[in-house]
Amino acid sequence: MRKILSLLFILSIAFLTSCSKQAPVDKSKITIAVIPKGTTHEFWKSIHAGAVRASQELDVEIIWKGPLKEDDRESQITVVEDFITRGVSGIVLAPLDNTALRRPVSEATRAGISVVIIDSALDSNDFVSFVSTDNYIGGQKAGEHLAKLLNGKGKIAVLRYQEGSASTQQREKGFLDAIAKYPDIQVVSANQYGGATTETAYKASENLLAPLRNADQALSIDGIFTPNESTTFGMLRALQDNAFAGKVKFVGFDSSEMLVKALKEGQINALILQDPMNMGYLGVKTIVAHLRGEPIEKQIDTGSVVAAPENMNDPHIDKLLNPDFAKWLTTK
Amino acid sequence: MNVPLKWLNRFGLLLALLAIYLLFIFIAPSSFSTMRNLETIARQTVIVGIAAIGMTFVIISGGIDLSVGSIVAFSSVFVAYFLSKTHFSPLPSAVCAVAVGSAIGLISGFLITRLKVVPFIVTLGMMLLCRGAAKGIAGEQKINAPYTWLNEVLASLPPERSWMILSPGVWIFIFLTLIFAFILRYTVFGRATVAIGSNEQTARLCGIAVERTKVIIYTLSALFASIAGVMQFSRLTVGDPTVAVGLELDVIAAVVIGGASLSGGQGTIFGSLIGALIMTIIRSGCTQMGLENWIQEIVTGAIIITAVALDRLRHRKS
Repeated sequence: MRKILSLLFILSIAFLTSCSKQAPVDKSKITIAVIPKGTTHEFWKSIHAGAVRASQELDVEIIWKGPLKEDDRESQITVVEDFITRGVSGIVLAPLDNTALRRPVSEATRAGISVVIIDSALDSNDFVSFVSTDNYIGGQKAGEHLAKLLNGKGKIAVLRYQEGSASTQQREKGFLDAIAKYPDIQVVSANQYGGATTETAYKASENLLAPLRNADQALSIDGIFTPNESTTFGMLRALQDNAFAGKVKFVGFDSSEMLVKALKEGQINALILQDPMNMGYLGVKTIVAHLRGEPIEKQIDTGSVVAAPENMNDPHIDKLLNPDFAKWLTTK
Repeated sequence: MNVPLKWLNRFGLLLALLAIYLLFIFIAPSSFSTMRNLETIARQTVIVGIAAIGMTFVIISGGIDLSVGSIVAFSSVFVAYFLSKTHFSPLPSAVCAVAVGSAIGLISGFLITRLKVVPFIVTLGMMLLCRGAAKGIAGEQKINAPYTWLNEVLASLPPERSWMILSPGVWIFIFLTLIFAFILRYTVFGRATVAIGSNEQTARLCGIAVERTKVIIYTLSALFASIAGVMQFSRLTVGDPTVAVGLELDVIAAVVIGGASLSGGQGTIFGSLIGALIMTIIRSGCTQMGLENWIQEIVTGAIIITAVALDRLRHRKS
């Protein structure tokens, strides 16, 4: 018994010590902590890949460390604090909450550590740059594309995501502003919310579609827009279950395996894609530029593109639909 | 038994804490040995540490409280609710939230003693119930609250207040630890708790009001969880109903690492404090080393099992 225990103890220490060799020892090298909202989703793996790419190009060290509990605000605050204590050169942070992360960020700034915010906004001025998808422009692209699909006339519906979610609200606003330029397109519904999960989005979609049928049970609308992954998938399921899929022009936002399949089969006409790899890349690049004393923009758009069945095999689009993050994450 | 062994027995846990700290000083970046790091570790231990005080009483009495994490979320949501919806000032908000949270423990205590349902099931039910209630009150999203001095309680000290040495929240934690270490050791209530955990039947025969003591114990546990909830709110600055999921397991681990026995009758407040510190040091050390999360989780698991197993071995030999 004692032997087993001592063995276990020695093994765990040996394990720890061997791990510590990976930790940077070169003091002169810039060390950047990159803190995502979670570590297991594909979106964050792409961000990680982009960050690794930038670190290799710029010859800096990055430490990729998400909250121990996915999507847990307390856990993320703790990670930021630990890196302030460690004294990294800079922090690239995707804040889980636009208010709860304010204090740790200002503590970092007070300790002389610069912070670049990526992905989601933070209600603060204590960071040097905000690198994210310009969601308003992404929404506009969706609006332009749907208008083109409808030849500038018809009835459309929008299923919003959630009250208080800044990024999707901007997408919805961008979409509606773009549509407003087409006088023959009528928005028949834009006040329904899909809610946090695919399940709630599915129910909301059914409720949205129910009153929009003609006497012959066919849909009375010509186009639909949904502003994120869960609303897009919920709407897709509702359309499929009622045999409407493919009979209405449908533009969604973000991608997943199921959505790409539906795009291939023509059930979705277009998906607006963000570029998470570019976000990770530019996040690290921006903070390193700042640390090296180069001027940087306060806000940086990482871009978005329209993926449609006709262009989904383009190398650029294909890379966004099937990100090659494995290449960057295995060559460490 | 010879003298060195006796000392080892008494201070074994403290030595383990020191050993783990020194190990990280050796392998983690140089920042780990700074004062700032000690201060950060102290602040990060407060939430688990405060909840562990109540849990120590529960575990010593032979029970378990799984509702701790949910009560932390519940009371942190209530603080934000009182601050933003009813516009209470900070202190009444905190006091009311702690009162509401403690009521949960009172209910658990009554269910355990009157309905004779085992604590595991009652508190498991309360865990889900409280979590649901917290989400309901918050409308399934976070509650934003105005920024008050309450949010400074667990923040790192700004330069102009460095005379306090540690954040107010850490002082509150130290104060509570001392008081309740005394209560556990030197009061009738404390001794009754140990007696119930050692042998409930004997305790009853000796004239201890077992039921009443148990109700007080579960209320205490919820009281401490609610105070931890106020601290949680202080850190988050918002009332988040999804916070502290699984926190009860960290708290139980801290208490058990601290030498308490899950079958009751054994355990100390200082032990639990050291247990909580060990957990924080491992987490903070692994983060500063930049270990990936999956490695960190494996390492933490291995250290918990090793620590407790070594402790049991020591006990058997003495």
